[in-house]
Amino acid sequence: MGVGDYILQGILAFFLGSELFSILGIPVSINIVMVLAGFLLGIMVGATPGLAGPVAMAISLPLLLSSFGYHASALLPVLGFLIGIMKGATVGGAVPAILFNTPGTPDAYMTTLDGFPMAQNGQAKKALRIAHFSSASGDTFSDLVLFVCAPFLAIIIEAHLDLPEKTALLILSLSFIAAVIGGSPAKGLISTGLGLLAVFIGTGEDFYPRLSLGTDQLARGFPITTAVLGVLILGAVFEGIDNLVREKRETGSFSAVPESGDQVLHWADIRRLMPYISRSALIGTAIGALPGIGSTLAATLGYTVGKSRHQKRKSTDDPDFGTGAPQGIAATEAANSSVSGANLIPVLSLGIPGNAAAVFLILAAESIGGFVPGPAVFKFTTDTVNPELVIAFGLFTAMAFANVLNWTIGGLFMRSMGVMIRIPKQLLLPSVLLLTLTAIYIQETRLEAIWFALGFGVLGYAMRKLEISPLPFVIAFILGDKLELSARRAFSASGNDPFFLFSTPIATILMLLAIGVLVYTARKRRLEASA
Amino acid sequence: MIGGPDGIRTLETSNIGASPVDNRSNSNAILGGLCVLAAALVAFVWVPLDVDSGVVEQVRRRVQIGDSLAPVTAAVFIAIGGLVLLLVERRVPDQPAFTLQNLRFIALSAAIIVVGFLIMRFTGPLTVDVVNLLTGGELQYRLLRDSAPWKFIGYFIGGIFVVAGLMAQAEGGTTRKNLGIATAVVIALILIFDVPFDDLLLPPNGDV
Repeated sequence: MGVGDYILQGILAFFLGSELFSILGIPVSINIVMVLAGFLLGIMVGATPGLAGPVAMAISLPLLLSSFGYHASALLPVLGFLIGIMKGATVGGAVPAILFNTPGTPDAYMTTLDGFPMAQNGQAKKALRIAHFSSASGDTFSDLVLFVCAPFLAIIIEAHLDLPEKTALLILSLSFIAAVIGGSPAKGLISTGLGLLAVFIGTGEDFYPRLSLGTDQLARGFPITTAVLGVLILGAVFEGIDNLVREKRETGSFSAVPESGDQVLHWADIRRLMPYISRSALIGTAIGALPGIGSTLAATLGYTVGKSRHQKRKSTDDPDFGTGAPQGIAATEAANSSVSGANLIPVLSLGIPGNAAAVFLILAAESIGGFVPGPAVFKFTTDTVNPELVIAFGLFTAMAFANVLNWTIGGLFMRSMGVMIRIPKQLLLPSVLLLTLTAIYIQETRLEAIWFALGFGVLGYAMRKLEISPLPFVIAFILGDKLELSARRAFSASGNDPFFLFSTPIATILMLLAIGVLVYTARKRRLEASA
Repeated sequence: MIGGPDGIRTLETSNIGASPVDNRSNSNAILGGLCVLAAALVAFVWVPLDVDSGVVEQVRRRVQIGDSLAPVTAAVFIAIGGLVLLLVERRVPDQPAFTLQNLRFIALSAAIIVVGFLIMRFTGPLTVDVVNLLTGGELQYRLLRDSAPWKFIGYFIGGIFVVAGLMAQAEGGTTRKNLGIATAVVIALILIFDVPFDDLLLPPNGDV
C-alpha cells in the first residue's frame, strides 16, 4: 500500500464505519455521531467551570468501553468521542474564563486576564467571538501540521532529544513559567516548589511512600484532580464568593454588567488579530509537538509573545494586555487550541502525552487494544497493510471533521453558553463548588479526595490573595513525576555523572536558558522596584 | 462605583476583591522569611525523618538517585523564591497581604463544606438506623448504598447544606428562594451524575 492508499483507507474507515442510521438513503456512520456528540459535550463541559475536558473524558471512558467493547472496531468511535470532547472543551473553556474569571480548563487561565475585563466592560459577546475565531484558527492550523508533519517530526524529535535534554527541557519549562507568570519570579518559584512538593508526597521508588507521615491517606499521594481542580477551580470559586461578600458589604447590592458597544467581530478586527493568532498558532503547534509539554505553557508563551508585540505597536487608546485587550484573548486561545492537534504527534508516535486530555486517549487505546501508540504506528509498510496506520489516518479524519463542526456550529453553540452571565454569581458559584467536589468524588470515590481538594482550594485562595499565581503550582504538579523519572533515567544512562544535565550541548543550552530566564526577570523586577 | 448607562450600578473591578495594598508593607519580607523557614524544615527535618533513601543511594555497587532528591529540589525552589522575595523584592510596591478578614472568610467557607460533607457521610446510615428502630428491621446502609432513595439521602441533605450555606455566606443571610435553588441544584446534579450511570457512586457512597 502506498501513502495515498493509507490516507484513503483512513478516511473511509471513519466515514463508512458501522451505520447508525441513514438520511435519504445515505448511511451515517457511528463515528460521525460520536465525534459530534463528544464535541457538543466538550463545549458544554468546557463552558462549565469545574467540568473541564479531562473530567468529562475520565467519566466517559468507562461508559464508552462498556458500550463499544474491547475490539478494534471500537477504536474510532471511542477515540472520536474523546477527541470531540478534547476539541470542544478547548473552545468551551474560554466561556467561563471570559464570563466569570474562572477558567473552565487550566489552559484557559490566561484568557481570564483580558477576557474577563472585556466582559466587565460589556463586551462579553465580542470576547467570546474572538476566542472562538482564534481557537478554531489555531486548532485547524495545528491539525494541518499534524497531518503533514507527524511522522517526520516525531522521528526528528526522538532523534535529537535524549534523556538529559528531555530533563533539561522540563526544567526550562518550569523555570520559564515561574519567571514569567504573575510578574514576580520569586512568587513563581514558590508556587512551582509547592506544586513539586505536593506531587512528590506519597510517591517514589522506595517501599515506604515518601513524606506520607506514616498515614495510609498520604501514602497514595494526592490525586491529580484534587490538586488541579482544587487550586484552580475551588480557589477561584472561594475568591469569587469572597469578592461578592465584600461587594455586598461595601455597596449593599450586587452589580450587573450590561452589554455595551459593538459585539460583532468585523474583518477589520480579524485583520488586527491575525498577527497574534498566527504567532500563537506557530508557538502552540511547536510546543504541542514536544513530548511532555502541554497547552498551558503554549498559552503562556503565546500570551507573552503577544504582549511584547502589543506593547510595541499599540496606540495610546488601546487597552494593555491584562486590562481587556482583544489581542490577549486571541494570543492565548490560538496558542492553547493549536496544541491539541500537534499534541497527538508524540502521543501517536511516542506514546507520550503532552496534556491531561492526551492521557485519556492513550488509556482508551491501551484499554481497547489493536492500536499501541508508538513508533510502529507510522510504519508505511507496502507489502502488508499496517492497520494501526489506517486507524491513525482515521483519527486525523475525525479531527478534521471536528474542525468542520467547530467552524460551522461551534461558535453558535459556544456563544449560546453566554446566557450563563445572566445567572447570579452568588447562586452559581456555590453550585459550581458542589459540582466540582462531586466530580472529584465520583472519580476517586473516597472522602479523602474531598478533604484534599478542599485543602488545595484553601491554598489556591491564599495564593490568589498573596498574588502568587496558581498556574506554576499546577504545571509543576503535572510535570513533577515526569521530571523525576527523566532525571533518574538520565543520571543512570550517563554512568552516574552528577553533571548529566550539562553533558550535551543542547542540554547545556536548555539549562543555561532555565537559569538565565530567572536571573533576567529577577533583575528586571529589582530595577522596576528601585525606579 | 460608577453608574451604568441604563441606570444599573456597575462595578469597578479593580477595587472590590483586591487585597489591601500598602507600599510600605513588609508582607513580601514576611512571606519570604516563612518560605525559607518552611523550605529548611522540609529539607532538614521532614525529608530526613520521612523518606527511606537519601539524595543519592548506592544499591549493589550502583549509584542511583534516591527518593530524597526530588522533595529536596522542591524545597530548594521554595527557598530560592523566599530568598529572592527577602533580598530582591522586599521593597517592591504593591505588596498584597493575607488579612484577618481573608482568614475569617476562608475558615467559614471551609467549615460550611466540612459540615456539609459530614452530614452527607452520616445522614444515610443514621436514617437506616432510625428506620430499623421504628420497624424492627435489620437493614444495612452498606447494602443499600446503590439503591434509591437511600443512596440519595446523604448527598441530598448535605449538598443542600453546602450550596445554601455558601449562598447565605455570600448574601449575608438565607432565603426560602435560595433554599429552593439549592434543592434544584442538588437534584440536577443527581440527574447528571447518578441517574444515567449504574457504575458511578455519589458521595458518600464509596466510603460507607
